[in-house]
Amino acid sequence: MLKDITLGQFFPGDSILHKLDPRTKIILTLLYITSIFLATSVSGYIYIMLYTGLLVFISRIPIKIIVKGLRPLIVIIAFTAIINILWTKGEVLMVDFYFINIYLEGIMYALLMIIRITSLLAGTSVILTYTTSPIALTDGLERLLAPLKSIHLPVHEFAMMMTIALRFIPTLIEETDKIMNAQKARGADFSTGSLTKRAKALIPILIPLFISAFRRADELSTAMECRCYRGGDNRTRMTVLRMRPADFITIALLAMSCIITILLNINFPIYKI
Amino acid sequence: MASIELKNVSYIYGENTPFEKKALDNINVRFESGRISGLIGHTGSGKSTLVQLLNGLLKPCSGSILIDGRDIWEFPKKIRDIRFRVGLVFQYPEYQLFEESVYKDIAFGPVNMGLDKDEIDRRVRDAIVFCGLSDDLLKKSPFELSGGQKRRVAIAGIIAMEPEVLILDEPAAGLDPMGREEILGGVWSYQRRNNSTVILVSHSMEDMARYSDNIVVMSDSRIYMTGACSEIFKHADKLVSVGLDVPQITRLIHILIKRGIDIRDDIFTIEAAKDEIMKLIRQKQKGGFPEC
Ligand SMILES: Nc1ncnc2c1ncn2[C@@H]1O[C@H](COP(=O)(O)OP(=O)(O)OP(=O)(O)O)[C@@H](O)[C@H]1O
Ligand SMILES: [Mg+2]
Repeated sequence: MLKDITLGQFFPGDSILHKLDPRTKIILTLLYITSIFLATSVSGYIYIMLYTGLLVFISRIPIKIIVKGLRPLIVIIAFTAIINILWTKGEVLMVDFYFINIYLEGIMYALLMIIRITSLLAGTSVILTYTTSPIALTDGLERLLAPLKSIHLPVHEFAMMMTIALRFIPTLIEETDKIMNAQKARGADFSTGSLTKRAKALIPILIPLFISAFRRADELSTAMECRCYRGGDNRTRMTVLRMRPADFITIALLAMSCIITILLNINFPIYKI
Repeated sequence: MASIELKNVSYIYGENTPFEKKALDNINVRFESGRISGLIGHTGSGKSTLVQLLNGLLKPCSGSILIDGRDIWEFPKKIRDIRFRVGLVFQYPEYQLFEESVYKDIAFGPVNMGLDKDEIDRRVRDAIVFCGLSDDLLKKSPFELSGGQKRRVAIAGIIAMEPEVLILDEPAAGLDPMGREEILGGVWSYQRRNNSTVILVSHSMEDMARYSDNIVVMSDSRIYMTGACSEIFKHADKLVSVGLDVPQITRLIHILIKRGIDIRDDIFTIEAAKDEIMKLIRQKQKGGFPEC
């Protein structure tokens, strides 16, 4: 069913990560990604693995959920790993089987690649997507980008559009499900026939879907106008975002992490790449 | 025509996910052929789920659904044929219209059935008669019609498939009394003319009393009661305990009985109540009837 698709994947909870300001978490994500790409030595990678693990631990998101989130990317990860193993040339030859030459370097490289991708996904998802509700995220984004207003970028409007879009995704999915069922009840067939036939079979879904989306948009804009919405100028908020000491401390800690990764690269290049 | 039966049917939404939700729990019920069966139950009791199982839109997690004794999932590849035999009108069906003309929209089902042109034409014209629409609407775009007309076009789209079993999920929801009357009356006359099996889901006890022969009461994913209208509406307290009610006129009659008036207790339409009360008044005028 279409409904099984989870979007945003926000996982409610009350860990430290959940409580941080969304702006902090956006900055943390950027710092985290930077530190991953800074790591170029085995010791750096080990360090990253450790502190990604720590992040996962303090987020209190069940490991099962995180593994599930990684599952769709297994194919891509496996593919990159195999390519790395087969095509990296090095000095220590491990396997020599006709045209297949596997070097130690290739295996190491593939391993580090796997660590990099999985850490990247697990880390960013516990810092941002799993612990921040989509609405808080757009809020944070709006505040972070607020300086761009001075060059006349409609930051508030973009944020509002994003909020509304996020709000309506589940509704539209549900609606699609309903319309599909209604047309199936009239004998519509979406899964057999040639490509053109299948494309044509989408018309009975798309037209009602568009009409209802426009109707909803229309109703929503009227409702907003009735409540005197008139854009972002001078608008106050119900929940005002506030940076607390914990926010600054975590940002400082993660910035330090970046520096540690660089230092590890320089001082303990056990296996430099 | 065809009878339809559920045997030990259970249905769970999102089975084996954290969002599991049992919507039907070991349902055993039979909808008799050639009857209008009413299906009532509080919000979330599983009515819509049940009707979607009947035409194979949902597959039961366990148990089986039989039409004239044959399992509808006997040949899963042929499930489309079941959908032509069991026509299902969804809640708010007007949102499924998509064609450029009313005619084409009503013909969508029959075209999918692979009928020839003359037969399709006949069915479309028959269907609009039952739904009380006039011929000159056929060329119009369905999006130009009023809400009530759209609803009727959508129902005509199912009726045009001439299903053996016709299921309507709250066909009169959100309409004015006139509109309700026209739609339900149309379904009623369609049923009487074709002697087809009809299942009517509704929240209105008055509509149920008026149009259905049998009633199936659902509560909390289970079948709570089944029986003829008169049977069901006798048990006002039982219905109230599952968040339902009896028709207002039946409540009035029950109050009269409590006050000691000797009147039949199986009255649930205004017409029947009128007849009965008039009879009592006439008796009283003849004398020999105690004051109340
Ligand atoms: N697509 C779905 N996914 C998950 N749960 C669902 C879905 N559809 C219905 N349910 C749940 O199944 C239960 C039965 O729903 P159903 O729609 O059958 O009730 P209903 O009797 O038709 O209610 P109503 O009178 O409000 O139309 C409800 O608790 C509902 O939350
Ligand atoms: Mg329903």
